[in-house]
Amino acid sequence: MGTFVQLVVDGLSAGSVYAAIALAIVLVHSATGLINFAQGGMAVLSVYIAWWLTTRGVPLIVALLVSIVFSIVFGALVERFLMRRFERGDPDTAVVVTIGLLTLITGVAGWLWTYNNQQFPSLFSLDTVSFLGVSVSQRSLGTTAVIVVVMVALQALFIGTKLGLALRAVANNPESAAFSGLPVGRLLMVGWGLAAALGAVAGALVAPQLTLTPGMLDNALVYALAAVILGGLTSPVGVVVAAWLIGVLENLAAVYVPFIGYDLKVAVPFILIFVVLLVRPQGLFGRKTVVRV
Amino acid sequence: MARAVDVPAPSLRQRPWVRRAAPLLLVVLLAVLPLVLPESTNETLARIGVFAVAVLGLNVVMGYTGQVSLGQIFFLGLGAYITGYGVQQDWNVVLVFLLACLGAALAGLVVALAAARLGGLAIAMVTIALPIVGVPLAKRLSDYTGGSQGLSARFADAPEATGLYDDQWQLYVVLVIGGIVFLLTRSLVRGKFGRAFAIVKGNEAVAASMGISPYRYKVLAFTIASLIGGVSGFLYMFVIQYTSPETMSFGHSIELVAAMVIGGAGSIVGSLLGGAYYVLVPELTNQVDSSLTALLQGVVLLAVLFVLPGGLASLVRRLGRGRRRLRAEPGPGASPTTPLSTAGSATATEEPGTERRGHA
Amino acid sequence: MNMHSRSRRAVGIALATALALTVSGCGREGDAAGGGGGGSRAEGAASPGITDTTVRLGITTPLSGATAGPGTCTVAGVTAYFGAKNAEGGVQFGDGKKRTVEIEALDDTYDPQQAKANYDQLKDDVFAMTAGLGTPTNRAWRDAAIADEVPQALIMTGDPLFSDPEESPWQLGFVPVYQNEGQAFGELLAASGAPHKVAILSQNDDYGAGYVEGFKSAVEGASNIEIVEELTYEATDTSVDAQLTQLAATGADVMFNAMSLVPLAVSSLQKAQQLNWKPSWFLPSNTSSPGGVLQPGGGAAFPGVYSVAFSKAPAGPAAGDPDVVEYLAALKQYGNYPDPPAFPHCQWSWMVGATLEQAFGEMTEPTRDAFMTALRGISGFEAPLMLPGTSVDATQAGQPAVSSVVVQKFNGKGYDTVEAFE
Repeated sequence: MGTFVQLVVDGLSAGSVYAAIALAIVLVHSATGLINFAQGGMAVLSVYIAWWLTTRGVPLIVALLVSIVFSIVFGALVERFLMRRFERGDPDTAVVVTIGLLTLITGVAGWLWTYNNQQFPSLFSLDTVSFLGVSVSQRSLGTTAVIVVVMVALQALFIGTKLGLALRAVANNPESAAFSGLPVGRLLMVGWGLAAALGAVAGALVAPQLTLTPGMLDNALVYALAAVILGGLTSPVGVVVAAWLIGVLENLAAVYVPFIGYDLKVAVPFILIFVVLLVRPQGLFGRKTVVRV
Repeated sequence: MARAVDVPAPSLRQRPWVRRAAPLLLVVLLAVLPLVLPESTNETLARIGVFAVAVLGLNVVMGYTGQVSLGQIFFLGLGAYITGYGVQQDWNVVLVFLLACLGAALAGLVVALAAARLGGLAIAMVTIALPIVGVPLAKRLSDYTGGSQGLSARFADAPEATGLYDDQWQLYVVLVIGGIVFLLTRSLVRGKFGRAFAIVKGNEAVAASMGISPYRYKVLAFTIASLIGGVSGFLYMFVIQYTSPETMSFGHSIELVAAMVIGGAGSIVGSLLGGAYYVLVPELTNQVDSSLTALLQGVVLLAVLFVLPGGLASLVRRLGRGRRRLRAEPGPGASPTTPLSTAGSATATEEPGTERRGHA
Repeated sequence: MNMHSRSRRAVGIALATALALTVSGCGREGDAAGGGGGGSRAEGAASPGITDTTVRLGITTPLSGATAGPGTCTVAGVTAYFGAKNAEGGVQFGDGKKRTVEIEALDDTYDPQQAKANYDQLKDDVFAMTAGLGTPTNRAWRDAAIADEVPQALIMTGDPLFSDPEESPWQLGFVPVYQNEGQAFGELLAASGAPHKVAILSQNDDYGAGYVEGFKSAVEGASNIEIVEELTYEATDTSVDAQLTQLAATGADVMFNAMSLVPLAVSSLQKAQQLNWKPSWFLPSNTSSPGGVLQPGGGAAFPGVYSVAFSKAPAGPAAGDPDVVEYLAALKQYGNYPDPPAFPHCQWSWMVGATLEQAFGEMTEPTRDAFMTALRGISGFEAPLMLPGTSVDATQAGQPAVSSVVVQKFNGKGYDTVEAFE
């Protein structure tokens, strides 16, 4: 029993890692209608900047703030000078451009900071909190808490603010958004900038656990994408819940379903997606979109 | 072979002697080239053939039918494993080839029957699962796959009677098999099925109203793509002569999608160019600076798409059309149902005049 | 085969007119049809890639992607070694000539297909292939190297296939086969006499399986050792927390952790501490770096962290060692590797350089054949950076160039060689 509960808690911690990146993907998707494969790569770049500052003696919290500011600027510039050329064209091309961007950023990070593992300091200590025979590190708790705060903020942004509404309008239909006087270009830059900043936070949260390498988030990206699809592309809450669900079910399946085991547990999120989407094509929490003829 | 003939060049094509002579000339050229080229060039060309076929398969489902598949490399891997296993069991090579094609097609059919029920991004996610689950699955089935140590199969030595060198023999086999696949696919996408694919890609509701079942055509396209993937797997084993779980890693599947878009989605020539891109760019970046390959590959990818958003095929098309101005769209154009994006960005028109109007 | 291109072209043009496909093979003189290799040349004539003043070596190894960290090291060490030798005027060969050593390294991103492509590109320009990292990437062109008679020497894989001279006449692995390393620890544990419950966590591939196989063969029949649980993980996993939770629940007092990934090794150590499970811990040679794994992982919290090694670590007690000082300076100056490496592959690659030099010195003819003979004749060679009790011995059939390892125990800063399990 103790093991079972511990496995659930472990799964929630792993799920929080996936959720962190998934939220950034949702933000950029809500703001631009694109899946950004470079989201993890951009996050890694800002974590490297924070790390580089800390090795120069800058306090961690300052370094993080600097890296977040850098990310906003970087995200906006990427939108303005790279993505804008592709936003109105074939969406597959735009997605491949983000793949190219991921390759480029990984290469730049490897060139500047090598492919070696770097230790990134954590905001939260590794000390353990124990309750009911279950141990969980303060780092996991802290990560999860930040994710929940970000999730609530995003949900509020999209539902309760003018900016969120405008961002969504631009993503849904840039033409009519432009006609109704919205500054489409600037809104797209804001969307990318915010998503990049969120990515920077996510990256800094998970870097102490994964250790910093140029490809740090490559493996987590697949889980994040799965969580995004499973939770529904439009819902921050749905995505976080989906990420936790994936983390927990994956662990339980590995331990308690002998046929799956630790090698095939990666199939669990995809089976989950398949089953859920057959019943609810818009995802667990997604809004139904109407396809126009 | 079909590829160069496929270049739409109306002015030239109207002349009947060109239409008859050009394919013949091409066949002669392809028959002679392997004999005169240096060994390393032949080997590179054979590899290009392998991945051109893989990209061609991807194009059938993604470029022509508009269903994002991130799992094409799985079918290549499956074909390669079946080939490797068959060769190790000393089965007849023709039988092995057929099994590689059919095995991949069957797997594709089963996946498609399930996945085609889903729309848009969900298909992308279900297909992502193929390479991701495929790698540990290949390790678990180590009795057949050799586990993580992989499978070697050396069956591509040139038969004594031909008097050819191995690299020449391999290239000929790739050219013949690949050429047939390209020709067949070309007539497929230009015929009745191709039109149905285009309508499904354009708008599923319209397709349904015309009596074209989107589901059935999606399954068909996916199955054909898998079959072609199986062929490329056989060729992979023929040329590389080794496969391991790493062959079908997720990253390579993404690279295939990138190669398809860079070659030109929904284009036969584009598939060939995509295969060339897949093989040549890593070789090129390795020559420039092998410690900066990722950086250089990213730069090349972005530069190519920045200049040619419609892929390399659009350049070929532009050359073919001469001075006619080229629009940056590869196939039948973006459509509301094209996945990896929501309806919003995809419905945007492509008229340059309306672009960035809202920004002013 | 660029050297034959002219004659091939002539044949091709003749064929273009005749359109007869069957007689094409005569384009390349010398070789048997279908061979395609560079082996059967006149006795004593120089092989490709070697002149009177230079010799060229090829490497295909991951320089980008997930394994680029150790991959970069496999190039840096040998490049630094010969960079320093070249600066002194070159390497003395057994045929009396002094040659400088050039190294051409290509990135294969751990993709077998790319590794084969790199090999195809290099095979006619280089004298020998060496030092590349990876089991599948080296297996991908093993058959081709045998057919072409190109040496695939001192490569970084513990796959026993490469050390079987019957199966692999042109191959020789450098690092100990994985089984050896697992076995060394197993023997130490079995010899302790005290009862131990062992938990195993291994990478789900030939690397992990090799370690476990070696360990099990050593403790087989030892009544004091009980393996209580055996789990695996995938190299693509982001977390092994669940495995640690399950293993901790067994209450084992020894953890055999055959893990090749630094991040997961660190987080395994951390997770075990969080669960308040502190067994004696075994880590393989490539993930037991004091600075890279044990310090961040908090290795000092465990009663003992054991590893196996044959090379001195650049940090810890060996930091002042003259071998290490020379090595680190060369790595910085010639290997384009400014920081002390966190992967042992840099040290191994440096030793590959020294072993190659040894073979070059014994090789009486500038041929690949003579090189392989000289290489297989090396025994009892204590390469620089080697720990006492280990040596290069390429004469043992079925074993790679290095097959002797010592078991070491973490002392809070570096490692000490130990004779017994405490």
